[in-house]
Amino acid sequence: MPHSFGLRARTRHMFSRKFREHGSIPLSTYLKTYKVGDIVDIKANAAVQKGMPHKFYHGRTGVIYNVTKSAVGVLVHKNVGNRYLEKRVNVRVEHIKHSKCRQEFLDRVVTNAQKKKEAKAAGVSFNLKRIPAQPREARHISTKFNVPQTIAPIAYETLL
Amino acid sequence: MPFVKQQKNKAYFKRYQVKYRRRREGKTDYYARKRLVVQAKNKYNSPKYRLVVRFTNKDVICQIIYAKLQGDFVLSAAYAHELPRYGVKGGLTNWASAYATGLLLSRRTLAKLGLADKYEGFAEPDGTVQLIEAAEDAPRPFKAFLDVGLARTSTGARVFGAMKGASDGGIFVPHNGNRFPGFDLETKTNDDELLRNYIYGVHVAEYMEYLEEEDEERYKKQFATFIKNGITSDKVEDMYTEAHEAIRADPSAKLAEKKGKPAKPYRRLIALNKKQKLAKINDAKAIFEASR
Repeated sequence: MPHSFGLRARTRHMFSRKFREHGSIPLSTYLKTYKVGDIVDIKANAAVQKGMPHKFYHGRTGVIYNVTKSAVGVLVHKNVGNRYLEKRVNVRVEHIKHSKCRQEFLDRVVTNAQKKKEAKAAGVSFNLKRIPAQPREARHISTKFNVPQTIAPIAYETLL
Repeated sequence: MPFVKQQKNKAYFKRYQVKYRRRREGKTDYYARKRLVVQAKNKYNSPKYRLVVRFTNKDVICQIIYAKLQGDFVLSAAYAHELPRYGVKGGLTNWASAYATGLLLSRRTLAKLGLADKYEGFAEPDGTVQLIEAAEDAPRPFKAFLDVGLARTSTGARVFGAMKGASDGGIFVPHNGNRFPGFDLETKTNDDELLRNYIYGVHVAEYMEYLEEEDEERYKKQFATFIKNGITSDKVEDMYTEAHEAIRADPSAKLAEKKGKPAKPYRRLIALNKKQKLAKINDAKAIFEASR
């Protein structure tokens, strides 16, 4: 039996619509505006067969470099062999959504500017860097109604 | 009766996918809405205006609406129940009144946008199909696309009356004449004379004359409001002509005063939310504790 490499091969689950979300898609997808330079996630919407991305790009994030009547052009980096190739994908807007990664950064810019302003006014030193989750601090734990149990391994015994 | 498996069992309801709310209400045609509302992506945030015409049993509603993510916004609106202010005393849902409502809407919109002088439209409609053209040295005409909703677009329908009114008022509504009354399917031509008559309600006047002769009783029943306001069949055309002039003179909207709602004899039971229920319980507790 020959191996098939069709455009939508192996997309049975990836391209299927979710439970009770079949049929026509909400109009909010069409009302969003996209500009060149926006960071977008590509997520194929099988309810609209036109302008679908290839299954490889489902779940990728890229930057818009072109905007046309009902589609956008997205730059995605694809790992081919030992290098990344910059691929240009033309995708209809139904398969695109704004990436929240960018929004998170923009929000942080605003809050950082705010914090900086306040710290400067108060004369306090500030650190605006994000720090990763640190190990937990030392703490006291009461043993009242909470006696520690000593656990030790049992002596070896053949159980044959 | 033979045993039949119950179709709408628990499994059915678990798997059932409801249609969109407005589709369930039977109010919105999403197939049409998608094509009407969506703007080309390379036009970014510029709004796409649509001329919405809806008929109720006693009123005509004309609105200019554009869509945003938060919802649809109404730029301006005109209702047939405003027409008595301009002299139209009866027949508020006929073709001529729909035309007048469309005309009122377009004059109102253009006044709001400051384009009223640049785009006068066609003050003396003669029944020909003419679209608004761009004026020189002026911004391009205000464009809106007709949104009929769920109305049947048969030849001679009143939705197209409202559209013609809006178009003659100065708004650019792209259309051609094949759904106006008087369009002949065989020769593919419009009957300008007939269309002009429809605009001025001559078709209503003729029916009034006919009924007066034929059946006095039916005439009194059908045209009761006309008779009450003293409008005979020969005055109908003038009534609409004067109304058009009055509309062009002063299309501004007059907001009605908000009437206070009369007190109801009963208190409606509203379901409490969680916070309110807890508060109620705490109050009862406090009272109990105090009484102990």
